[in-house]
Amino acid sequence: MILDWLPPTLIGVLLVLAGIGAIRRMNLWRAGQAEKVDFLAGLFAMPKRYLHDLHHVVERDKYMSRTHVATGGGFVLAMVLVVFVHLFGVKNEILAWALLAALVLMFCGALFVYKRRMNPPSRLSKGPWMRLPKSLLTFSITFFVLTLPAAGILPEGTGGWILTLVLSVLILMSLSEMLFGMTWGGPMKHAFAGALHLAFHRRPERFGGGRSTGLKPAALGEASHGVAKPTDFKWNQLLGFDACVQCGRCEAVCPAFAAGQPLNPKKLIQDMVVGFAGGTDKKYAGSAYPGVEVGNAKGAPDQIITNGLISSDTLWSCTTCRACVEECPMMIEHVDAIVDMRRFLTLEKGETPNKGAQVLENIIATDNPNGYSPASRTHWAADQNLNLMKDVKQADVLFWVSDGAFDMRSQRILRAFVKLMKAANIDVAILGDEELDSGDVARRLGDDAAFQSLAKRNLATLSKYSFKTIVTTDPHAFHCLKNEYGDFGSDALKGVEVLHHTTFLNRLVKEERLQLDTFKGGKVTYHDPCYLGRYNGEYEAPRELLASLGIDVAEMERSGYRSRCCGGGGGAPITDIPGERRIADMRMEDVVSTGAEMVAVGCQQCTAMLEGVVEPRPVVKDIAEILVSQLAEEVNS
Amino acid sequence: MSEFTPTESTLSDLLRRDPRAEWIARNRLHPLHSSVVSAGQGEVRGPSGLLRKNPHVIGFIGPNGIKRIDRANLSAAGLNGKKRAGEAKETQLPLHIVDNPDGYIMVVADMIGGRLTGHDKDILGLAHQLVGENKAAGKGSIAVVLVCFGESKETQFDLAGVDRLLHITGQEFEGFAPEARLSALMQVEAQYKPVNWLFPDSIHGGTDLACRLASRLGERPATQAWQVTASNTVSRGASGSRDISRETPRILMLMEECANAIEDTRHQVLDLAFDADAVETGDDYRLIDQGQIEVDSNAVPLAEAEFILSAGNGIHNWDQFHAVAAALRATEGASRVAVDDGFMPRSRQVGASGTWVTARVYLAVGISGAIQHMQGIGQCDKVVAINTDAGCDMVKRADLAVIEDSEAILDALLKLAQEHYLSKEQEKSDAA
Amino acid sequence: MPPKVNVVSLVSVGRHPQSGRSRRAEQDGRAVELGLKLSKKSLTVVHAGDSQEPVLRQYAGMGLDSLTVLPQAADGDALPVLVEFLKNSKAQVVLTGVRAESGESSGMLPYLLAEQLGWPLVPRVAEILTIKEGAAEVLLALPRGQRRSVIVSLPFIATVDNAAAEARQTAFGPGLRADLKVLNVESVTDDAMATWQISAAKPRPKRLKVVKAKTAADRMKAATAKPVGGGGKVMKNETAAEKAQAIFDLLLEEKVVR
Repeated sequence: MILDWLPPTLIGVLLVLAGIGAIRRMNLWRAGQAEKVDFLAGLFAMPKRYLHDLHHVVERDKYMSRTHVATGGGFVLAMVLVVFVHLFGVKNEILAWALLAALVLMFCGALFVYKRRMNPPSRLSKGPWMRLPKSLLTFSITFFVLTLPAAGILPEGTGGWILTLVLSVLILMSLSEMLFGMTWGGPMKHAFAGALHLAFHRRPERFGGGRSTGLKPAALGEASHGVAKPTDFKWNQLLGFDACVQCGRCEAVCPAFAAGQPLNPKKLIQDMVVGFAGGTDKKYAGSAYPGVEVGNAKGAPDQIITNGLISSDTLWSCTTCRACVEECPMMIEHVDAIVDMRRFLTLEKGETPNKGAQVLENIIATDNPNGYSPASRTHWAADQNLNLMKDVKQADVLFWVSDGAFDMRSQRILRAFVKLMKAANIDVAILGDEELDSGDVARRLGDDAAFQSLAKRNLATLSKYSFKTIVTTDPHAFHCLKNEYGDFGSDALKGVEVLHHTTFLNRLVKEERLQLDTFKGGKVTYHDPCYLGRYNGEYEAPRELLASLGIDVAEMERSGYRSRCCGGGGGAPITDIPGERRIADMRMEDVVSTGAEMVAVGCQQCTAMLEGVVEPRPVVKDIAEILVSQLAEEVNS
Repeated sequence: MSEFTPTESTLSDLLRRDPRAEWIARNRLHPLHSSVVSAGQGEVRGPSGLLRKNPHVIGFIGPNGIKRIDRANLSAAGLNGKKRAGEAKETQLPLHIVDNPDGYIMVVADMIGGRLTGHDKDILGLAHQLVGENKAAGKGSIAVVLVCFGESKETQFDLAGVDRLLHITGQEFEGFAPEARLSALMQVEAQYKPVNWLFPDSIHGGTDLACRLASRLGERPATQAWQVTASNTVSRGASGSRDISRETPRILMLMEECANAIEDTRHQVLDLAFDADAVETGDDYRLIDQGQIEVDSNAVPLAEAEFILSAGNGIHNWDQFHAVAAALRATEGASRVAVDDGFMPRSRQVGASGTWVTARVYLAVGISGAIQHMQGIGQCDKVVAINTDAGCDMVKRADLAVIEDSEAILDALLKLAQEHYLSKEQEKSDAA
Repeated sequence: MPPKVNVVSLVSVGRHPQSGRSRRAEQDGRAVELGLKLSKKSLTVVHAGDSQEPVLRQYAGMGLDSLTVLPQAADGDALPVLVEFLKNSKAQVVLTGVRAESGESSGMLPYLLAEQLGWPLVPRVAEILTIKEGAAEVLLALPRGQRRSVIVSLPFIATVDNAAAEARQTAFGPGLRADLKVLNVESVTDDAMATWQISAAKPRPKRLKVVKAKTAADRMKAATAKPVGGGGKVMKNETAAEKAQAIFDLLLEEKVVR
């Protein structure tokens, strides 16, 4: 045959081109900042991370997970065998049969991909992604036909040079997509970058069921702070951006996107890719940032991101609710990237929008965001007869009051919780005026300098006293204490258990230290606070507590790890980026749709946001408040 | 000027008896009896024209509280003569007279709108305290001089404690003319060598003038003084967080309520000789006053605005709301909900998480009054509410509340405001 | 605005009203902001005091490349060094706050500077509109948001009112990196201040409404009368026109509608 050399050559050439592309791509990532990564361990762990952790997320959509297993698995197997059978010309019928089987598997998967692309949901990107199922089908059919002779089903030379030529054209078409596109920026890029991203992930703790949600501390005192240009990201963050499959799951769960604020996590990640690869977003074929036209964004590795690539409003729209991160099958860290860029805006440019500047100034001057007198922090507890750590030096439980101490609504929650602790005879003390703001708001607004100062001073205070447990009613402070204070080299929290009050109360109820009456009110639903649920994985304790009152929680459609944010996190009420709706209103609609008369909450910020919705609406109560009203009166015997 | 002269009114205040009328009243057989008795009452005729007796004026209340018939006619109106007319009138206060004073204390008043402010009066009161202390220390008698510039509409200088008045008028002192005024004060200084210069520490020009005088004279004044005796002064420092106690300087800038205003005496208010034309206004070209400029009421910062028209959830016709605000020359405010819904910019939000306002009149339309909002309007003098819900917190807080749909009321208010300003303009053009 | 106006903003250490902690002073921050607006390039920000004061970094964080410090001891008098400095500088516009938030806060400094330099002073500036031909048009802040326009000849000193544009946010990074130019000047002690007794502010007694009644009955009435306010008038059943008239009458009575 004259043209027998053609298919293997094509395969070889495209493999080489793909290799060149891979090196080019890697160089783009390497423009990022250095970050220590255990390369070998990562590479070895990668298959397990793919099969277990990534698949665990994909599995939430059964249709897609099966489709992906068939297509992806089929393709990887087929590609390896193609190299042996067609490139190296290994004559082995078993290999050829295996290849055929892999291609059939892939074909089936590709058919489902095709079917889904017939009428794709809005969250999926279109453009080149629309031709992907065709490329997949072409690939499987082409190589199926090409392999038939090797499997001995058809005699060698069937079809003559015409068939070979036709097949070669098809090989060129499909492999351009599958190999060349993989490393030169096509849709298949996700497989290549995604695999490496899983291997060199910045938070390896997340794999194997772990959790890593605390922000990484910013290095202070250098020539610049935060991320100004794409190359200011760590190299593995850049790699992570490249892993995006544009499935749009993040977009579907993003509260800011739903509220019409100019944020779409998927577009944000794609813009990051445009940034470090250089170019414009003209080729982006998914949903835009609400209210912002696609096609005008320009980026380059050394260009300031907020000068032309994305607007700072996009960054300030995020509530840091982590819904996108939770939902991302590629385990991309959107929130890290957003806060990194916010750090630049706040620490270098001084451009925290709206009330941001004032809040940060207050935090610096008074250690609380609203500028109240630090000496009035304990006023709420004037009648509570609580021990101060300053006096007692040690206690079983340290109650971290947090800034709710200044807010009259939150004080009701605090008092309820104190009453419950007293009913259970807990040896509890508070820090009183020694307590400072946890730094949550400062950190999410990008002022890591203020956060670190607060964290260090809080740790210094904590280290003076001895206690076994810290309990707080504020999930934001809970998160800082539990996950973020560890980065500052203090032993103050060593061996100390940090608990949210719902977890703590649930233990008390289980130990039968609290006697509660059955709740006889109407229907109740529960809103998972982001910083309790997604950030710290506590979904059960609040539900168990409600169950212990005999409440059968009427779950909202978005609950648990898919709970929708109240709109109060990440300093969003402070930066106050306008949208078409308010996130809190949408969340209240979720509540109303369950028919509940009351929504139980475990966070003062959520309480404030949900109560800010115009009445009539269901009652909003913290779980501590619900429990306290069911506290059985002690019978004197 | 109101010097002490006995007048008719003081004479008629005296209680006068008329023995002859009393005698006639006692004698029922006297021919003039009935006319004397009914003199004070006049004839009372009923609806049908019959002459009637007024039972309420018959008799009197006895010492044990029981009403008695006055057979002797002792309480007849004629007997009591005229009621003391002076009871309703102000009693004349004693006049404080200073003749040939040995020194002067100068009080430079703000005189906002040509009238003494409460602040000015407090300082006049303090001046008299210092006068008293000086007298007690045997330093002779001192007169309190009020120094004021420009037009004066004040009619009660005598009751405020002004012994002498130094009213400096002239075109060059009108409006913003701190340098001309300073020159005038320098001439006063040269002419009278006052014991003390007292100024209100106020944003109405008192502080400015005082600082200019002090720096020109090279004397260190006390600012934000609030406890002043002839020897010692306590003033606030470090943005009100410290008390500075020192020997009383000659120039003082005083806080409000530094002393009680004069209440019990009248004062002479004699004009003090001063030749305003002789003031060397000198190089005044450095500061040229171009007058107050028209400020769009809506451009006034919310925190400073005097009159706020504030919108909440109950507003449906926003064009109408803006029109009413413009017509009433009010600054626009909004509740959180109105801002969240995008009808008003965030900068217009009133309340704990928005702006804390200090308006004298706060007109809340369709705002039910969340606690954060009520916190924000805590300093407002008068609150007016327009709301459909009579039970809401805003109505409870309001000095005047109107239960009605906002649109109808705003419509009526719009008309009233337009008519009002139209007639004003008419008057102006008529006058011109 | 002509490109070349030499502006000097004088800054001091502020005091947070709630925590009492040092901070960027409210009005001085506005003075810097106004200076930045006039000419970012030819703005000199000067502090007379401790060069180690961390608050200076907060001023510098507004985007200043450098900040000039005239070192003075805590009991020093800022006036002589500032007069000397300004005499030798080419300053045309000097901006300060109205009153410092620490120390004596007398507000005399700008007046003394003006007197000793022989420059005019404009108090409580809200805005500087134009600077041309050796004169500036400035807006003075009057109470209740009113404004007065004044033309002042250069060079002049202006105190900046709270009505002026708010100081921009201070950024940590630039503040940290800004250059502090510490000049070598003599420290002058404020002798008069040494004779003063300074203590924490005593709360001022609220003035009571003393009723000077002439008769016992009047005094009784004053003592037992219901406090004013506490539930105002509520109009329910009148016509809309009547209700509106009532509101309008109140507005007229309060003189907010004139």
